[in-house]
Amino acid sequence: MCGIVGYIGNGEASDIIINSLKKLEYRGYDSAGIALIDGDNGSTAIYKKEGEISNLESILPPITSRIGIGHTRWATHGKPTTKNAHPHSSGNISLVHNGIIENYMELKEELVSEGYEFSSDTDTEVLAHLVKKHYTGDLYTALRTALGYVHGSYALAVLSKDHPDELIAARKDSPLIIGLGDNENFIASDIPAILEYTKRVIYLDNFELVSVKQDSIQVFDLEGNHKKKEEHIIEWSPEAAEKAGYSHFMLKEIHEQTNSIHETMLGRLHELEGDVIFDELGLSRAQISQIQRIEIIACGTSYNAGLLGKYLFEKLAGIHTDVDTASEFRYSSPVVTPGTLVMAITQSGETADTLAAVHEATYYECKTLAITNVVGSTISRDASSTIYTRAGPEIGVAATKSFTSQLVVLYLLAILFARVRYTMDADKAQQLQSELRKIPGHVRHILENERSIHKCALKFVKTNDYFFIGRNINYPIALEGALKLKEISYIHAEGYAAGELKHGPLALITKNVPVVAIAPQGHTYDKILSNIKEVKARDASVIAIADMDDTEISKYVDAVLTIPKTDEMLSPILSSIVVQLLAYYTALEKKCSIDKPRNLAKSVTVE
Amino acid sequence: MKAVILAAGEGLRCQPLTLTRSKVMLPVANKPILEHIINALASCGIKEIIMVVGYKKERIMDYFLDGIDLGVNITYIEQKGQLGTAHAVKQVSSLVDCEFIVLNGDNIIESSTISDILNGRSGDVTLLTVTREYAEGYGIVTSTDKRVSKIEEKPKEDISHMVNTGIYIFNPDVFNEIDFTTVSQTGEYAITDTIQKMIDSGKTVNMVHSESTWIDAVHSWDLLRANAYLLERHEHFMNKGTIEDGAVVRGNVSIGSNTIIRSGSYIIGPAIIGKNCGIGPNTVILPSTTIGDNCTVEPSVQIKNSIIMRDVRIGSFSYISNSIIGAHNSIGSNFITETGDNISIEINGIIHTASKLGTVIGDGNIIKHRVLTEPGKMIATGCTISSGVIIRKSIPENSLVI
Repeated sequence: MCGIVGYIGNGEASDIIINSLKKLEYRGYDSAGIALIDGDNGSTAIYKKEGEISNLESILPPITSRIGIGHTRWATHGKPTTKNAHPHSSGNISLVHNGIIENYMELKEELVSEGYEFSSDTDTEVLAHLVKKHYTGDLYTALRTALGYVHGSYALAVLSKDHPDELIAARKDSPLIIGLGDNENFIASDIPAILEYTKRVIYLDNFELVSVKQDSIQVFDLEGNHKKKEEHIIEWSPEAAEKAGYSHFMLKEIHEQTNSIHETMLGRLHELEGDVIFDELGLSRAQISQIQRIEIIACGTSYNAGLLGKYLFEKLAGIHTDVDTASEFRYSSPVVTPGTLVMAITQSGETADTLAAVHEATYYECKTLAITNVVGSTISRDASSTIYTRAGPEIGVAATKSFTSQLVVLYLLAILFARVRYTMDADKAQQLQSELRKIPGHVRHILENERSIHKCALKFVKTNDYFFIGRNINYPIALEGALKLKEISYIHAEGYAAGELKHGPLALITKNVPVVAIAPQGHTYDKILSNIKEVKARDASVIAIADMDDTEISKYVDAVLTIPKTDEMLSPILSSIVVQLLAYYTALEKKCSIDKPRNLAKSVTVE
Repeated sequence: MKAVILAAGEGLRCQPLTLTRSKVMLPVANKPILEHIINALASCGIKEIIMVVGYKKERIMDYFLDGIDLGVNITYIEQKGQLGTAHAVKQVSSLVDCEFIVLNGDNIIESSTISDILNGRSGDVTLLTVTREYAEGYGIVTSTDKRVSKIEEKPKEDISHMVNTGIYIFNPDVFNEIDFTTVSQTGEYAITDTIQKMIDSGKTVNMVHSESTWIDAVHSWDLLRANAYLLERHEHFMNKGTIEDGAVVRGNVSIGSNTIIRSGSYIIGPAIIGKNCGIGPNTVILPSTTIGDNCTVEPSVQIKNSIIMRDVRIGSFSYISNSIIGAHNSIGSNFITETGDNISIEINGIIHTASKLGTVIGDGNIIKHRVLTEPGKMIATGCTISSGVIIRKSIPENSLVI
């Protein structure tokens, strides 16, 4: 989701625009740019830079300016490079855009044949040239005419040095608002961007254009008729809006998983054929067949996802797989050969340890594959290919939706590898895919029954220790459950492979210590049942995460948190929702700072 | 002007669909009822929306977020305990300080419905009425000229065809009046009681009569008619999906992105198919059908005049007619819905009549192969129906039917 801002007034335009752009950070972005009309010499100054807004700030010289536009770009396809960052220009005209121009290819061909030169790969540049082409001295008319040729969605802000007293904006199917100040006016994608400066806004409707001057606003429809708009006063705090009624980003993001999991699968499943297609994988079928070993490198939650990946690649595709924490991989003596596929998993794509490890791996001439949530992040430039998890921006420090999306990507990769290497027949692949498509609905079902998890969390709020146990594919979820709880509720928690208990940890199990057993039906079900009896014999309180139709387990445990029945292989996705909610409600009852836990950062960019 | 949408209610008469979501989130023409309302408000320039939520509020919040994608700004207020419409309105007293419009979140309206009341507003309270031939079950308004003399909830005998839509324009004085509203016989604080008291104390309560769209889906099966009605009037049909060679798409049909209509399929509009769906091969979809996102409709299925919500799989050789299938259902092959006319249906002990209906199925059921539902027999939610079963009576929540 791109962000747009525009400013005209007596303030320092560059400061105001940069500040407003920062308020749109929650929409996610990978590059930023700004265009200003220099107050001293009347020229247009354009600065853009990939990465953080601070990168843009570092190259931005002090410019005295009273008018400008700014943009944060969240690339969904196409590369997030400085070249593709907005604003885009044609002649004296510069503009920023949020949306998709659907017919940009044909428009581009036409413009190229007329001699316009393109310097980026974006659809937006077409708009800049179109406005230039129809410019005859009036910026508003030029944009209005240009938009007549365009199919798609847009929120736009246009600037020209020939009109240093006017910004033009337009909207169709992408959000855009106008902020009304005192002898200054604003354009923005969302209200938080301008709330620091004014609380008076106008919401633009589809097919509306607006001429924004320092002391006046005029709104028109596409036919050029003047439209009267009502002014609205905003009375809420910007942060509340971003959380859409939820008290924390984490809970909002847990709820978003009914959609984010779909986004991850979108267009990648081909159920009738039983195939998975990753356009961006960058490995041929021959290369997939020749993989000798997979080395997964990750940190934190991503490591837990990677560990599940190990079980999947080994079980489904028969490829020997190792998982290493990135900080260890770097300083061990990695045995990596050209037949190794190095897979790096990082939500932000900026995790310093993971980046360094991938860098290290490239020296061994092996293929590197990054799985990340942030388009154009550093890792996507370092790795030989990148798969995006498409979970959308994640604000809560404790990873939730990005984790389940990582899992889904790993399932899809495992199915793909298994099909190519003939270790899975089409029927099994079809069955897994059809079950995968049902997962979002199952997640919805778990969320419907949130209250039972809340109640369970309440019971153990005062405990000092928590244990999570699981076997096989459920073991990574035991680790993840413990990690979530540690991160946000500050309760000491450990995840163990259930079979490991008697080799040490059992000594810690005492009366009433809560033990969460992840025990959906499957080939290790009987084994985990005996582990449950083992800890029950030490008077622990056992919370089981089990299938909905499991009538047996409640005889042995103190509480059962159910998940809908799915394929045995896929149940970890559902169990992880339960442990996320358990951690959330525990932290909530303990009144912890859930979205910003102490000592932790969302993206760990230091070693 | 700000709008207050009352969206906290449960919608008992729309069970089993409302077991997992409130009535305002029931989809018609592939959008929740509430979204139609927000669009109508937005196109009349009302962008500040206060949503009073309660029952299953997360569903609403997950879907609409802060509203910016619809071009509005939504503030959520939770009504704890369902104590009636007056109590719901009272929740927003700290958020409004001038004239505001109040609407129910579960009535389908269009923008002219809103502009009618905006243009005709006068007096201390304005309320919007429509005429209904059969007015039983509604609040009935009697008036002299446009000045309302009485609002009567569900009168036993016919007194007027003038039905209260529950769309009002109030000024903040109403909050004081609410404080003095007494509990009704049904144990609720009703806003109509507040208004009646204002009339009795000499305040001017005027009505505006409207002939614009106002659809009150009382029962789940009323959604089918509402769906057909909106599809007929739907304007922006767009194909963003893939139609394979050999598939026929006629009339007004919207197809979402990443959806594939496979060869041999025959689709006749008006119909909407969501994004990320797989349809066919050889599947027939006939008019007034809406299919939600992420659905799989297997080969040789026929669907007509039905609503299929999101994340549903329908097995090959199934026949679905005049039915509503909730979200996240998994249906095996050869599933048949029998359709009947003038069916009596019991909901929570009261008999209701459906003029024409196949079945209504709640969310998250597993229906195996060769299952047949008799007319009007429903399946709640979380049920598993074994192969070969004929559903001869409605199935309650979390049942296993062998």
